[in-house]
Amino acid sequence: MRKPVVVLGLGNPLMADEGIGVYLVERLMDSATEYPAVDFVDAGTGGVSILYHIEGRRKAVVIDCAFMGEPPGAIRRFTPEEVRSTKVLAHQSLHEADLMRIIAMARQLGEAPDQIVIFGIQPERVELGQDLSRTLTERIDEYISMILHELES
Amino acid sequence: MSNRTVNINVHHITRVEGHGNIVVNAKNGKIEKLQWQVPEAPRFFEAMVRGRSYEDIQTIVSRICGICSISHSLAATKAVENATGIQVSEQADKIRLLMHYSEQLQSHVLHVGYLAAPDFFGVPSVVPLVAIAPDPVKTIIGLHRLGNDWSNLIAGRTTHPVTLRPGGLTKIPTEKQLRELQDRLKKSLADLTVMANVVLSVAGKIPQFERQTEYVSLKETNSSTYAFYHGEIASTDYKGTVPVNNWKTVANEYVSDQSTAKWTKWHRDSYAVGALARFNNNADLLSTTAKAVAKMFGLKKGCCNPYLNTVAQLAEAVHVVEKSIELIDELLTKGLKSEAVAVSPKAGKASGAVEAPRGILFHEYEFDRKGNCMSADMCIPTNQNHANIQKDFEKLVPEILDEPEDVIRLKLEMLVRSYDPCVSCSTHMLDVEFVR
Repeated sequence: MRKPVVVLGLGNPLMADEGIGVYLVERLMDSATEYPAVDFVDAGTGGVSILYHIEGRRKAVVIDCAFMGEPPGAIRRFTPEEVRSTKVLAHQSLHEADLMRIIAMARQLGEAPDQIVIFGIQPERVELGQDLSRTLTERIDEYISMILHELES
Repeated sequence: MSNRTVNINVHHITRVEGHGNIVVNAKNGKIEKLQWQVPEAPRFFEAMVRGRSYEDIQTIVSRICGICSISHSLAATKAVENATGIQVSEQADKIRLLMHYSEQLQSHVLHVGYLAAPDFFGVPSVVPLVAIAPDPVKTIIGLHRLGNDWSNLIAGRTTHPVTLRPGGLTKIPTEKQLRELQDRLKKSLADLTVMANVVLSVAGKIPQFERQTEYVSLKETNSSTYAFYHGEIASTDYKGTVPVNNWKTVANEYVSDQSTAKWTKWHRDSYAVGALARFNNNADLLSTTAKAVAKMFGLKKGCCNPYLNTVAQLAEAVHVVEKSIELIDELLTKGLKSEAVAVSPKAGKASGAVEAPRGILFHEYEFDRKGNCMSADMCIPTNQNHANIQKDFEKLVPEILDEPEDVIRLKLEMLVRSYDPCVSCSTHMLDVEFVR
């Protein structure tokens, strides 16, 4: 049986702040034993594989780098209904992915969790490099406590 | 003679997540500009691994791509082992092949279902396809789920594998897990047949277009194996094979003004890699049911319709499942043994190659005597296809110039999609605006 809740960290840790989702989910894995009903998954840049990770769950919490027009380092909690994707896809390749479209598809298929919560973190730097920017690094504890609070609700 | 004036500009320029652009400008039936442009930002992964230990390379490069991460990790691991003289046991080799097959299934069913099928059904993406054809979409999702579970079992994750290491594997499945996987693989053959029949029912939408070109892939000499994981470099234009370490004499990378990605050519001004290239070099070695699938569509060795790459993928999806069923039997008959891996660093330089789902992939590394990486070079399948896509455009557009502009555009986009280019997988951030 699948655990009812999944926390997905998305992104690429070789692209500086773009890897924030992966970085945070790895940190959260340290507390995994305290959350027996929760799967913590580093889903990287697997694109439509997100569908596979969220199907059959009650709740999905997604952590991702997001361009939201906020100052760098800002974190926002939102649901899919609260946003509109402005991402332009060429539909040329499987390598493109848009989380919002994948969620829409999961819903059409009746496979989506009842509750989907997204934590978007505005990046400062999206470029080659394995380190997060200082702006994001200094706020890691704040991000972690917000996500853990979400899991307790 | 056509006197058409056509202006098609399919632009998707974003420097972070790159895409390809399609440009067609024709005036009074004369083509003035016709380009497949790749404006993607360079990514410099070769520089990132410099100074890193030979034991870490496969983990770092797995992040080059979210779809072909197993192939990148395997190509790197093989190159590291070739460079440092590390041997791999027969058991580890077979389990790695099983891992590699899982990625082929994952990727091929996604390509057929998510990229190609919407064109065949006349919808812009897979999302509206769910409403039109829910059952086929569910079949595809079920097969994709199998591919994911399979990768998860052997590679430790669905994407970005963690069980590979120079000399072997950090973890192997149990015999019970392999038996369960084998049961699911056997059952999936029926679903794959359903998928093939669905595609066959809309196969009339596959454009009729042919262009002779060179097809390059791996091939194992004197072997009965359809090559994905081992072998040397083969071509439809060349008798014999080229050792993987000499891949640069095959790729002959060069710079084109219309692209930030490098282009390649060998015996002609372009060559193709991918499922159709593998098929054209190895077709007689496909599994029985895979051959039947190819036959359903009339796909024969020597095919030079690039749109049929999708059909070759369908046949390969069946092939990897049938071969994996056999591979699991071989592993279980011998019995799984836990194997200690002891390796030590050594100076050396060598290459590794595997067939990624979208074509032959080369990695090359040089290490100092402590096993630190001094240089790296990678050549991905998509770069090897860019020149070939351009040459396809140049033959196709004059043939269809009298058709409506949106039909021309669709046929060009479908052509690009049939190659499934890997143009934007290094980042996947959200880009949103708040509704309220």
